[in-house]
Amino acid sequence: MSAAKKYKPMDTTELNENTENITACLKKVENAAAAAAASTLGRSAFAAQNMNSAASTNGERLPNFSKLGGHHGEIRTASTTSNLLNRMGAIHNSKPGDVKKIVIKNFKAKPTLPDNYSEDTYVKLEEAVIAIQLSKPIKYSLEELYQAVVNMCSHKMDAQLYAKLKELTEQHVKRNIKIKELTGGSLDKLVLLEKINHWWLSFCQQMIMIRSIFLYMDRTYVLQNSSIHSIWDMGLDLFRIHFAQNNVVQKRTVDGLLTLIEKERQGSTVDRGLLKSLVRMLCDLQIYTSSFEEKFLDATNQLYKAESQRKMQELEVPEYLQHVNKRLAEENERLLHYLDSSTKHPLIYNVEKELLAEHLTTILQKGLDSLLEDNRLNDLTLLYGLLSRVKNGTSELCGNFNGYIKKKGRTIVIDPEKDKSMVQDLLDFKDKMDIIVRNCFEHNEKFTNSLREAFEFFINQRANKPAELIAKYVDMKLRSGNKGTTDEELEKTLDKIMVLFRFIHGKDVFEAFYKKDLAKRLLVGKSASVDSEKSMLSKLKQECGGGFTSKLEGMFKDMELSRDINIAFRGHALSNNRDVHNLDLSVSILTMGYWPTYAPTEVTMPPQFINPQQIFNKFYLEKHSGRKLQWQPTLGNCMLRAQFDAGPKELMVSLFQALVLLLFNDKTALSYEEILAATSIEDGELRRTLQSLACGRARVITKTPKGRDIEDGDQFDFNDEFTNKLFRIKINQIQMKETNEEQKATEERVFQDRQYQIDAAIVRIMKMRKTLSHNLLITELFNQLTFPVKPADLKKRIESLIDRDYMERDKDNQNQYNYVA
Amino acid sequence: MADDPDNSVPAEPEKMFTLKRWNCVCFWNWDVECDVCAICRVQVMDSCLRCQADNKRDVMGRQDCVVVWGECNHSFHHCCMSLWVKQNNRCPLCQQEWSIQRMGK
Repeated sequence: MSAAKKYKPMDTTELNENTENITACLKKVENAAAAAAASTLGRSAFAAQNMNSAASTNGERLPNFSKLGGHHGEIRTASTTSNLLNRMGAIHNSKPGDVKKIVIKNFKAKPTLPDNYSEDTYVKLEEAVIAIQLSKPIKYSLEELYQAVVNMCSHKMDAQLYAKLKELTEQHVKRNIKIKELTGGSLDKLVLLEKINHWWLSFCQQMIMIRSIFLYMDRTYVLQNSSIHSIWDMGLDLFRIHFAQNNVVQKRTVDGLLTLIEKERQGSTVDRGLLKSLVRMLCDLQIYTSSFEEKFLDATNQLYKAESQRKMQELEVPEYLQHVNKRLAEENERLLHYLDSSTKHPLIYNVEKELLAEHLTTILQKGLDSLLEDNRLNDLTLLYGLLSRVKNGTSELCGNFNGYIKKKGRTIVIDPEKDKSMVQDLLDFKDKMDIIVRNCFEHNEKFTNSLREAFEFFINQRANKPAELIAKYVDMKLRSGNKGTTDEELEKTLDKIMVLFRFIHGKDVFEAFYKKDLAKRLLVGKSASVDSEKSMLSKLKQECGGGFTSKLEGMFKDMELSRDINIAFRGHALSNNRDVHNLDLSVSILTMGYWPTYAPTEVTMPPQFINPQQIFNKFYLEKHSGRKLQWQPTLGNCMLRAQFDAGPKELMVSLFQALVLLLFNDKTALSYEEILAATSIEDGELRRTLQSLACGRARVITKTPKGRDIEDGDQFDFNDEFTNKLFRIKINQIQMKETNEEQKATEERVFQDRQYQIDAAIVRIMKMRKTLSHNLLITELFNQLTFPVKPADLKKRIESLIDRDYMERDKDNQNQYNYVA
Repeated sequence: MADDPDNSVPAEPEKMFTLKRWNCVCFWNWDVECDVCAICRVQVMDSCLRCQADNKRDVMGRQDCVVVWGECNHSFHHCCMSLWVKQNNRCPLCQQEWSIQRMGK
């Protein structure tokens, strides 16, 4: 028999097999007689069958059936088989309706047992039981023993029999445990364990054998008395009592088990079969929890407490995590192989607690930052997996993750020297964190939200600049000349940018800079792709609503309308006027208010410009009455055809540059003052223009004296020796230190707009509340305003509104404001 | 085409610079004396308050919300004024009888 089978003593098939063997002979006899009569004769046949077998089996069995006979008191018995068969024949032969009754009578004398039957049987059974217990051969056949038990039970001697059996078992257990105790002291733990295991296994085997013999008792006497244990349970009970009572043996066994397990934990191989068998023994004896589990958990805790403290010091965090993971796997395997499954929860909980929960803060503080920094995805996955098992693990992890992002993000955002790469860094950082959340943290919503929150926090640590740089970044991406990216890639980048944009509080700053750049792109025709522009616009619209983008959309619309008007104008000019024949004029008509504002400048323009301009003016105002046009000479560009000694060239220049160059048609040498008087271009602007023409890469005019800067009194000449390998040359304008100044101006405009918004919000709130204390007003304002503001700014605006009589201070309470209608 | 720079022979070949193409930029706004509509207190360059609220601008372009000038030369959003005259056919600013002088296009 395999070990597994031994431990399933209640297995019914096994029981049946045993029973069948013993009762097989009974059936053979019965069947012979029954075959003839059973089907037709019903009740009488049943009686007859019983009688029949009673007559044909040996004396010992008689008493057994006499009882049955007693139950059927009315049946008159036919004494022999042949007699009965004859009668049956008679019944068969007689006509239907002519029914004769079979009457079965009782035995005349009640059968009795032999006088000394019970004593003999006791002795016989006792001998057998002891033989089994001592693993000696049994003198009697099993069938015989079984029958003896059946008979004893039938004659109401079951109680004594049970008591006897119990006594025998108890003696046996006692005897054995004494031996163990005696020898135990000197034995090695392992040997002791093996002995106990052997003893237990054979005890089980013996009990199964004994139970098979006493099966009938188990099924009648025991079943009828709910207070007594079945034979098997009785055996276990006795074993338990004596095993549990005997502290020495029990303690040594448990200690032995613990030593063995500790050895295994330290890496040596141990006999898992032995462990398993003994643990099963403890389970079966129901002393697993009381005598073993607690000690086992204690030992586990101590071991891992010491180990975790040591390892935390010795190992780097990732290695420590690997170690913990290994340990957990081992413990799980241990559970699988020999521990009782009820231990699973407390054991794993304890291991996790000692190895992880106790060191949670240290692990996170010591290791998380570097794991994130080095992008160690596998270790992070492991970390998440482990920490999600302990209480507060994920929330602690989430908190630290959040802290890391804020810290790291701040360094990206805060340093003005890193401005150039800030947006790209932010995008990369976001990508990295996204991947970590997705792959390592199971896309846990808590982490996604935390990531978002952290980004929003640090990106707004520095006011305005990130918004501006994001706008600039988009400009860079959308500007043509940004080759090597397909539309899809661009689209992806824009989507990512939008994620950053979402975090920004001062969206108006973004809008201002975006608008400025968009205007430049549209007017110079430098936009990489109309589709991408439109897509960016729709993203912004989705994010901030139609109000945010309506002006930007208006800009696109202006460009479209301008195109139509130019086509119409060209047709008009062709049919009506010759003055514009040689000039390809195209005008961008922009709606004031949609576009960024440009400082108006006045310049003196020669008739070449004035005439077509006037024609266009007339043409346009005829179409759109009630409007007026304001020309913007700083914007726009010209193409000039130039005749040099080396041949003609086409020059792409700004309007100012063109104005200057055209002066040389009439006079080949001009002084600075002459040029200034002729063009009336603003001084600084003119110097820059001349610089670009005389000191730039393409020097179409020469300056005397030479030098980088334009001074009063400088002389300029047409450079007819100009050569360039290109036919079409673009002469770049020298940009004013626009970056700083223009930036300031844009910011200034944003702040101006914000002031109005603050005013509006204050008035709105005051109008609703009529009276409000200062603090409440400030709180409400912070709730309403979508951009970051300082309380000092708010105070200024409140002062200004008081001055303008929108509100007043309460006369009695200086901290209270009243709305003035 | 006659104005194609490559085909045309320069009229005065001795000229050193000839203007061939000019891309210029101009802004338009309504030719008004006061750039705020007295009825809705919104700049006449923007749509009137009502149109902004309805977001008409997005759908139809700004043609909807044009400016209207009265004989008195006062100007308002056309939308605002057409509502106003239903109540009171006088200019809200000078109380003259309202009659339209011209309308923005």
